[in-house]
Amino acid sequence: MSKYGETQTVLHEENFLLDALKEMGYQVEVHPQGAPLNSYYSEQESKVAHIIIRRAQLPGAYGDVGFVRQPDGRFTLIEDELDDHSGYGRKWLGRVQQIYKESQTLAVAQAKGYRLKGRQVVETSEGKQVRLQFVVRR
Amino acid sequence: MKEKTITITIDEQGRSALDLEGFAGKGCEQVFDDFRGGDLLKVERKKLDYYSRPHVEREKSQR
Repeated sequence: MSKYGETQTVLHEENFLLDALKEMGYQVEVHPQGAPLNSYYSEQESKVAHIIIRRAQLPGAYGDVGFVRQPDGRFTLIEDELDDHSGYGRKWLGRVQQIYKESQTLAVAQAKGYRLKGRQVVETSEGKQVRLQFVVRR
Repeated sequence: MKEKTITITIDEQGRSALDLEGFAGKGCEQVFDDFRGGDLLKVERKKLDYYSRPHVEREKSQR
């Protein structure tokens, strides 16, 4: 054994984020210059996002959900404040991050020559965990 | 040659656990960084093997 670490996924790479959202079944709009999100209350100041999922695809949502590219390159979730409690808040984002991280990890492994030995999905009290094991021979 | 393994566990909260076995020193850091990417580091712990010397290299250098 040599090293152990725990990390929190940061959404940096647009292609993996788009893949994750598509895998979740959404049709995603990409707006390099940003586009307004629709909110539940029309009098609310419109928020702007670079990646948008429209409310029609989000059962129970009050408004559109989007991701904004920050100056440091990260994508952060932006949504109607009401949706933090309607199923499109932290928990939903965690699922996006999980799919994103798996795709990113597999791509890194392939690029660096690490061989995938196995993939398991494990049920835990906190939801599903994806376990990827790679081997290196060098 | 001893097999080096990397186990990555990703949960539904967007957290990942990276567990490296059989690595030592700089090589370990490189692999860790490859898989960490730009993610936020919450916990980092070196294990005993990290500090082990690369025996083959040492034997060669003694000749």
